[in-house]
Amino acid sequence: MDFELGEEQRAIGEAVAALLAKHAGWERAATLAREGACDFALDRALGDAGFLEVATSGETGLLEAALVVEAVAHAAGAVAAGASVLAVPAALGRALPGPVALVDLAHPGPVRFASDAGTLVVLEGDAARTVPLASGAIPRLETPYGYPMGRLPERLARGGDDLGSGAGARLRDAWRAALAAELAGTMRGALEATLGYLKERRQFGRPLASFQAVQHRLAACAVQVEAARWLAFEAAAQGAPAEGAAVAATYAAGAAKRVFAETHQLSGAIGYTREHPLHVFSMRLQALRLELGGAAEHARAAARARWGAGSGTSEEGMRDAAARQAAAR
Amino acid sequence: MEFDWSPEDAAFRRALAAFLEQALPPDWDELAKDGPGSAVQAAFARDFCPALAERGLLVPHWPAAYGGRDASPWQHAILGEELWSRGEPRGPQYMNVNWIGPALMRFGSEAQKNAHLPRIARGEVFWCQGFSEPDAGSDLLALRTLAVRDGSDYVVNGSKLWTSYANHADFCFLLARSDPASRRQRGLSVLLVPMDLPGIEVREVPSVVGERYFHEVVFRDVRVPEGARLGAEGEGWEVVGYALQYERVGAPRYARAARTLDRLAERLAAAGAPPSDEVLARIGEARALCEAGRVLSYRVVDRRARGEPPSADTNVARVAGTFAEQWVADLALELGGPEGLEAGSFADAQFRMAMTAGVAVGATEVQLDLIASRFLGLPRE
Repeated sequence: MDFELGEEQRAIGEAVAALLAKHAGWERAATLAREGACDFALDRALGDAGFLEVATSGETGLLEAALVVEAVAHAAGAVAAGASVLAVPAALGRALPGPVALVDLAHPGPVRFASDAGTLVVLEGDAARTVPLASGAIPRLETPYGYPMGRLPERLARGGDDLGSGAGARLRDAWRAALAAELAGTMRGALEATLGYLKERRQFGRPLASFQAVQHRLAACAVQVEAARWLAFEAAAQGAPAEGAAVAATYAAGAAKRVFAETHQLSGAIGYTREHPLHVFSMRLQALRLELGGAAEHARAAARARWGAGSGTSEEGMRDAAARQAAAR
Repeated sequence: MEFDWSPEDAAFRRALAAFLEQALPPDWDELAKDGPGSAVQAAFARDFCPALAERGLLVPHWPAAYGGRDASPWQHAILGEELWSRGEPRGPQYMNVNWIGPALMRFGSEAQKNAHLPRIARGEVFWCQGFSEPDAGSDLLALRTLAVRDGSDYVVNGSKLWTSYANHADFCFLLARSDPASRRQRGLSVLLVPMDLPGIEVREVPSVVGERYFHEVVFRDVRVPEGARLGAEGEGWEVVGYALQYERVGAPRYARAARTLDRLAERLAAAGAPPSDEVLARIGEARALCEAGRVLSYRVVDRRARGEPPSADTNVARVAGTFAEQWVADLALELGGPEGLEAGSFADAQFRMAMTAGVAVGATEVQLDLIASRFLGLPRE
């Protein structure tokens, strides 16, 4: 056990921070969100800098990928880093032409990044397929929830290259770990936006952040953001095992609901406006927390993985996780 | 970063679990239902703790000079998880290992260390904590118990409240005002008070939590020799601050909650029909809350393992652990239904142990205050 960043991890953190300083930030995210566009420049920059190989390089692994994903989310990067940096390389051992959109046929509806994706990864039960997409193949959906989105056309739900047995389950676990990291980074962004404002904003002759009634709520948010972050890192470090990944996603999705409510309530009217950074993070939280069936579905996956309740797959799941953990090392 | 256990730590957990398997009687859960302060459990601890000590399982994380073997703080954490989650077969002695010993090592004189640490390391002594008072709860600095110098003695007068384990204790780790003119954190001193001194009276405060859970300890002209003072005179607040950093994550409530949840899932599975989707979601959600408490507590242990000073991470972990325990206890009661209302039932035992979680060792609101000021850097009201 060691929770301190190693030298390699610090270097990756600094590299991604430098890149994000150039290519991300809440104002850029707000602009892109109004167009419903993916940040192709950032996507390319992440690829050029080698971040798509972080999960599979051998020197580094899923933990380092999760650190990158959390950092991208915290900087409001408008890219599918969860899929392309973590979930896909972790589950398939290689990167796919991006941007990558993940879709699980069990959970129909708008799909993050589908409109701008170069590759669609379609999960159906234990199976999965890749579908290369031409630009403009899926129209952009209008959404206030901060990400480019699109709906999967019926014809694309069936075709594609089969990724082999078990790919669906592996991708789903890795997706949950990636989602947890994205939620953690996005919540951190929302909380920081709120803290920054409440320390400055004076009412009743003093900063709002000096009121105990406000402080307790901010402190409770901070506890949840910390827990979400460390659970995500731990799940990634352990190779995104079914239970750990589902636990991290369950916690993060539940926390996101509460952090959304608290940061908006405490920020008052300014928090709803496009001139304040909160909305960039908070609206994204809603999209993230509904993905893959949301907190209840993650929680059921966690319960099945731990106790085998109702599914009879627990031992299998544990063997699978052990194999993945060995592979991750 | 590394989230796996070292081979040594993993082996330690296996050895401990194997020992517990044979050392705890088959009816242990029944014995433990009234908590670490019950007469049954304290009596059990009188044999159990020396047995742990003999096998090097009581204070492995202590320096060899004091009866340990310099094991990592991670083994201290493992001990806490395995024992507290089983209902604490060490009885009140978990406090010795967690924070009384470390405070003695940090602030004790050679004579004090020699007098107390070997007895703790052998598992043969019980302590209680004399902090809270009738008018000093969350506002601990309002405490009024006096320890006034008279020659080479302190004369102690006052009253301590909520004191768990006072009925079994050989010593009290007492925080008192040694300068009667002082206010707040100045002028406090810690005294290591033998509980058999004349003038000490222990009264039970009956409660719904468990058998003999709370006590009032009244001190009337109790003469305590100067040599029993831990640390410098007037520096008691520093001693207590150090001890609390250990205490707040000392009893790993997330681990007890996680074990309760495992047992709850077992009971649901044994009940026949597979759990509904809703029940699965609820136990999975509860599992996530336990895991949050665990990973945040590990952050605290990690700092300790690297020799860094304690931080507000302790308070963050405490809040998450408290929340998990209360959540799981509620769930045990709700999923079990009215069966849980019978004294000593599975849900009842969990529920009553969990009900003090948000108040013990500093109310959740105090933890949140500390997170706001020390972790988020927010201005004081």
